[in-house]
Amino acid sequence: MGVYAITGGSSGIGAKTVELLKREGHTVVNIDLKDGDICVNLATASGRQEAIDKLHIMYPEGLDGFICNAGVSGACGNLGLIISLNYFGTTKLAKGVFDLVEKKKGSFVVTSSNTISQGAGRLDIADLLNNIGDEQRILNLVSTLDGSNLSVGNSIYVATKYALARFVRRISSSWAARGVRINAVAPGNVETAMTATMNVNAKAALNALPIPTKYGQETLMQPDEIAEAIIFLVSDKAKGINGNVMFVDGGTDALLNSEKVY
Amino acid sequence: MKAIEKYVQAMENKDYNGLAELFDKDGTIIDYCPNGTSQREYHVYGKEAINMFFRNKFMFGKCSISEAEVVNDTQAEFVINYTGFYVMAIATVRRVSENGLIERLTVRPK
Repeated sequence: MGVYAITGGSSGIGAKTVELLKREGHTVVNIDLKDGDICVNLATASGRQEAIDKLHIMYPEGLDGFICNAGVSGACGNLGLIISLNYFGTTKLAKGVFDLVEKKKGSFVVTSSNTISQGAGRLDIADLLNNIGDEQRILNLVSTLDGSNLSVGNSIYVATKYALARFVRRISSSWAARGVRINAVAPGNVETAMTATMNVNAKAALNALPIPTKYGQETLMQPDEIAEAIIFLVSDKAKGINGNVMFVDGGTDALLNSEKVY
Repeated sequence: MKAIEKYVQAMENKDYNGLAELFDKDGTIIDYCPNGTSQREYHVYGKEAINMFFRNKFMFGKCSISEAEVVNDTQAEFVINYTGFYVMAIATVRRVSENGLIERLTVRPK
């Protein structure tokens, strides 16, 4: 049985992933703001460092897998939080625990989003994230934008998820050469406590992002459908898969972007 | 009403349910016009997919038509708008099933 760490494991996809991994008999450590085994704020540099330090103390022999799942949606109203948690809360932490995963020749899985292929992201922000990576400068830049505007929030959210997918692609070769795989899942819209209480207009917009496997049901992806893909990718069963962005969206991306074969 | 007329009507009204019902179970829409825009061409196979696809496009304003004119039994011309890009297009019903449902429809730049 393995030792896995996950960020954002207290709710939604993360909680289901923790549950399924534990059911398989694995040891799982959850890093989250609330109800975690390590409670830290991954949107801050100090919180990230605390998590990295604690993991090194708890598991000096290494980790079999690290799942970077923590994030907030574009509707959270705080653009800085989207930038700091979604992108830097993943990339900084992944780099900070790389040595632990390398010890066991383990793997990483990063949660991206299927919205990256729908053209709604600020790719200039994604470029700044991937190419410059200066958190404070980017925070200064997005602070000039209207965080209360849902479409602005969504465009920044998509930018962070796009940048995460590209981070995975870019870094996967060198990490694999050292025995560590890294892949991403790109989930479709997932049923959560938040989506269950959405108003009619918001639900109509969500349902207009059709999920072919849910045709006619007006329901969203279930957390276990994403968690199963994460567990597969982080496991040795996926040992031949590296640098892959796996769309786990019931076929939404294939429907809307059938011509994007590669 | 001919199939091409019903197609134009459904597109004008952004009626994705009505649009899908015009097609045979495996009916196909191939739209080459988006190649000249920020999108890629559409290949949508099957009436359920047509329903879902155009629900998305209509809801998010990514596809609409105007200035439509049916020019013969199988063809119509219109201006099609893909998120702000306008293309003068001609739609052609290529094949219809025995029960009058569209099996293949193409949209090309005129």
